[in-house]
Amino acid sequence: MPKDDLTFMESLWRNHRIPFGSQYWEQGWFGMLFTFIFVAFILLNIKRAGAGKSLFIRRIPGLNAIDEAVGRATEMGKPILMVPGLSDPVNAIAVQAINICSYVTKTAAKFSNPIIMCAYSASMYTLAQEVIRDVYQAEGVPERFDPDSVRFISDRQFAFAAGVSGIIHREQTAATFFLGEFYAESLIFAETANSIGAIQVASSTEATQTPFFIAACDYVLIGDEFYAASAYLTREPVLVGSLVGQDWSKMFAIACILCGVVSQSIFSFTHSRRVEDIVNSAGGDKDKIKAGLAQLKKDEAHQFVVSKFFRQVDPPEDLKVDREKKPAAEKSPEVGIVNK
Amino acid sequence: MKVNEINFWTKVPFSKDLWMMVILTILVGALIVFGLSKAPSQARRPIIWILTFLSGAFFVLYQYWPKAINFDKNTQLPNGGIEKVADFLNDSNSIVGTIAQVLAAFMLGLGIFSILKIHGTRIAKRQRDWAFSVVLIVSLLLMVFLGYGDFHIREATKTIDFDNPEKWGAINMGRDFLFEGLLQQMDAAMFSIIAFFILSAAYRAFRARSVEATILLGTALLVIFSLMGGIAYLWDTKFIDEHFAKPGVTHDLIQNLKLAEISKWIRGTFQTPAITGIKFGIGLGTLSMAVRIWLGLEKGGK
Repeated sequence: MPKDDLTFMESLWRNHRIPFGSQYWEQGWFGMLFTFIFVAFILLNIKRAGAGKSLFIRRIPGLNAIDEAVGRATEMGKPILMVPGLSDPVNAIAVQAINICSYVTKTAAKFSNPIIMCAYSASMYTLAQEVIRDVYQAEGVPERFDPDSVRFISDRQFAFAAGVSGIIHREQTAATFFLGEFYAESLIFAETANSIGAIQVASSTEATQTPFFIAACDYVLIGDEFYAASAYLTREPVLVGSLVGQDWSKMFAIACILCGVVSQSIFSFTHSRRVEDIVNSAGGDKDKIKAGLAQLKKDEAHQFVVSKFFRQVDPPEDLKVDREKKPAAEKSPEVGIVNK
Repeated sequence: MKVNEINFWTKVPFSKDLWMMVILTILVGALIVFGLSKAPSQARRPIIWILTFLSGAFFVLYQYWPKAINFDKNTQLPNGGIEKVADFLNDSNSIVGTIAQVLAAFMLGLGIFSILKIHGTRIAKRQRDWAFSVVLIVSLLLMVFLGYGDFHIREATKTIDFDNPEKWGAINMGRDFLFEGLLQQMDAAMFSIIAFFILSAAYRAFRARSVEATILLGTALLVIFSLMGGIAYLWDTKFIDEHFAKPGVTHDLIQNLKLAEISKWIRGTFQTPAITGIKFGIGLGTLSMAVRIWLGLEKGGK
């Protein structure tokens, strides 16, 4: 390959043997840079909030409705149902869902309102039971905690859906909270609860399920409102700070998108003008057009366009790296017992 | 297992090294569990945070540590320290992932205990619908018994072709009846109920009670019509093409009024960017939550 055609990263590798990872080839490092910037924004704002800086959070109707729903259940003397999603194993989404459920439980514990929490996975069940017990203890009413209020139903999607729907019907729950990861069963839950007139607050991290919740529930937390919930409800500096950090990250992403749109538009405009010039000047000669387009492609490879930063490129397959051969590689004998 | 696949985490099957590793793992695991159960609550938090931090640090390193370029593990040895660490992280990834599965398996026992306790109490006290609890517990025990029985038979007699149902015994048939014949069918029945729920939810959502609901109704109708062959044919072909489109011109302005084009525009211009925006917000929220958990800043439920 001629030396001039080498990209910056490839020339560094070929000439200086700088060991960049394959994931950082060409624009790959941009993903890491973006993640670091987002993390920096989050940590910086956590520090700002911790230092006592007052940070603004807009009103979220779905979260204001939590107290209303618990109050209604108290008046009716019926239980509150909570389903912290179908995360298995427990992940960040499940932890957030449990956080919101613990706030609901805290409010319910104050009014001695019975709760039912349905867990999809055994790990979620264990975590939820510990957290709910802690909430009752923190509220000074450990005797009101009923260990059977947190239930493991099933780790099969539709068996879980059937189990939860059955509980909604039998217990005639007054308020239901569906928060976390939900899939096809989301509408089964929401419509069953709707059929008995329960007040419903829901949120799914699966964007495809959000419309179902919007159609069937009273209040829905859309997208990252789900993650804003604990900050909004508790006003804890760490949570408020990280929420503001997320907003900074969004602003930064929007600025990058705008730069990309402008840069790509200019690039596309100049590209089409140059193609038009090549075709016009060739006067119908196909070889000339081909040569002109090839030259154009070469020129554009070195042209600066912001959107190029976001297209990851894998290292070329023909790039040979000198390494020592593995001694046992030629024979690779089988040892031990293998499933036959 | 091939010699090439032996690494820091794996040992030759039935070798002394393997047995030593198994015994050491059990001992260390038991010590950690015992230590945690005896430690006061305040001391548990930092221990758990250290373990969380180490687990998180592994995956951060795995993701960001430079991966070797065009490296063939079967024939080549890693070059230098950076590639060796990358190779070690690569080997460790599946093992560290398995640890989470092992922990979840331990918790499954607690889940089953919860089911037995709730339904056992209901049966003992003859509470309402106690007969259903009997069905549940009998099904649970039967499924465990037949499931393990079937697995054992299939593993022990490899010469039999179990794809042929004629070769099955009573246990194989029992498991097949319970799993394929009942459970899978009931799953499918629950899934099919969604169709009716979609209809009732859509009816409520599409009532034109406000300006927003009316816009939603109009947009949804356009998309629905574009997917209905008969209506799309009448509008796009019989009406637009035959009355307004110029013969032979495919990029006319009037073509934009075709249902297929309108639907494509709605989905490409409104729906996809909106969903992408929501997903981006969720991604940022997850990142923020993960950072807080990793660095021990998340207090959780307090």
